[in-house]
Amino acid sequence: MQYQPLWLTLQLALITTGCLLVIGIPIAAWLAQSKFKLKPAVEAIISLPLVLPPSVLGFYLLLAFSPANGLGKFLNDVFGMRLVFSFTGLVISSIIYSLPFMVHPVQSGLEALPGSLREASQTLGKSSWQTFIHVLLPNVKPALFTGLVLSFAHTLGEFGLVLMIGGNIPGVTKVASIAIYDEVESLNFKAAHVYAGILLALSFCILIAVYIVNKHLTRSRLTS
Amino acid sequence: MSLLRFKFIILLACLPFIGVAQTLRVAVAANAQFVAEKLAQAFKKQSGIEAQLIISSSGKLTTQIEQGAPFDVFLSADMKYPQKLHEKKLTTAAPKVYAYGSLVIWSKTNITFSKNLSGLNNAAIKKIAIANPKLAPYGTAAEEAMQKTNIWNVLKSKLVYGESIAQVNQYLLTGNVDAVFTAKSVVLDPAQRGVGRWTEVDSKLYQPIAQGVVVLKASQGKNFAANKFYQFLFSAQAKQIFKAYGYW
Repeated sequence: MQYQPLWLTLQLALITTGCLLVIGIPIAAWLAQSKFKLKPAVEAIISLPLVLPPSVLGFYLLLAFSPANGLGKFLNDVFGMRLVFSFTGLVISSIIYSLPFMVHPVQSGLEALPGSLREASQTLGKSSWQTFIHVLLPNVKPALFTGLVLSFAHTLGEFGLVLMIGGNIPGVTKVASIAIYDEVESLNFKAAHVYAGILLALSFCILIAVYIVNKHLTRSRLTS
Repeated sequence: MSLLRFKFIILLACLPFIGVAQTLRVAVAANAQFVAEKLAQAFKKQSGIEAQLIISSSGKLTTQIEQGAPFDVFLSADMKYPQKLHEKKLTTAAPKVYAYGSLVIWSKTNITFSKNLSGLNNAAIKKIAIANPKLAPYGTAAEEAMQKTNIWNVLKSKLVYGESIAQVNQYLLTGNVDAVFTAKSVVLDPAQRGVGRWTEVDSKLYQPIAQGVVVLKASQGKNFAANKFYQFLFSAQAKQIFKAYGYW
């Protein structure tokens, strides 16, 4: 029984969530106000990981990351970088995999804001950037929080994708979900129970936090 | 509810059992996947009984069998897992060796490997995949062989682990690793012929990979077919097929 897989899982989830914060908010903001003709197509692409089996994504990433062809070959030849079997590769695939969990809540939050909010701010001389940062974002705190927490939790629960492109390297790609699978396969149910129990408790606490905080935030927004 | 409708529902409920009686479910360790297909074909020709193959790692299949998976025969990659099932009284008899497997190095590069693994330490070989040594006998054998050489320290940092020999092969075929340790039966399969080059690993470097088979007690009502398949595995015809796939 080692705690390294759990620690690795937390690192992966934290880094992925951090990256998603940076990537997800601009995408959500753009989607919320865009009248671009192909917007449904963009929305569909972002949502694909919700419906696709992780094995489909895993299969394509395995081919995309392969140093034998295309993108993987370019990265390998130019930067000497191999994404498959690496922590960086897991982070990139987790970002793709959890993107809808970040974008959806924030996008709907922003869309639900009354247009008058933005107009008032801009009438008062604020730029659209200032309006976004100081007026719009603070008003979608519950959505932001939901997006962050769900991305984190979804990455914790990632399994099929890591199984396909991770290579099960201890300390690098052997995350908790894989460790559980490993222990179950080696008939070591005791260790599997420990990992599984910790993940179960953690996921439950995270979700309960979302519901409590959201209730609180929504209420405080209504009363303020 | 009308009687007709009732009959129809009963019929539907029974559907999963009809016609399955003569289909044998054989759980097969990933290394024996290709040879098992061949064996199943030959068996069907001889007996008319269809054998459906469920392919996975021995460890996973063992867990599934323990949890009541409806398999009739289990071809493991080692003796340890079927022995475990036997100790839990899930099998009709103690495991028997059906074949000994051989380990090979398989690569799509132009590097020449020797049977004592030199060549794998070449800097152009960046990643080497082996099956998880904790679960897969071919992984254990690969690790053992590498540890016996003086280049183990170099090789250690290049390793990635597949969940079974099947994933290891997949890593090589998609070009994600430069070399793999796999079963000889894989590279001898007609579908893989001409893909890359392979070198047999010196059999002195690892314990013989004795692969055991058991008939499962859960195989109720199909014992006749299951036993027939079991006997077929030890027939002269099956021996020939095993030999063609590099088993001894």
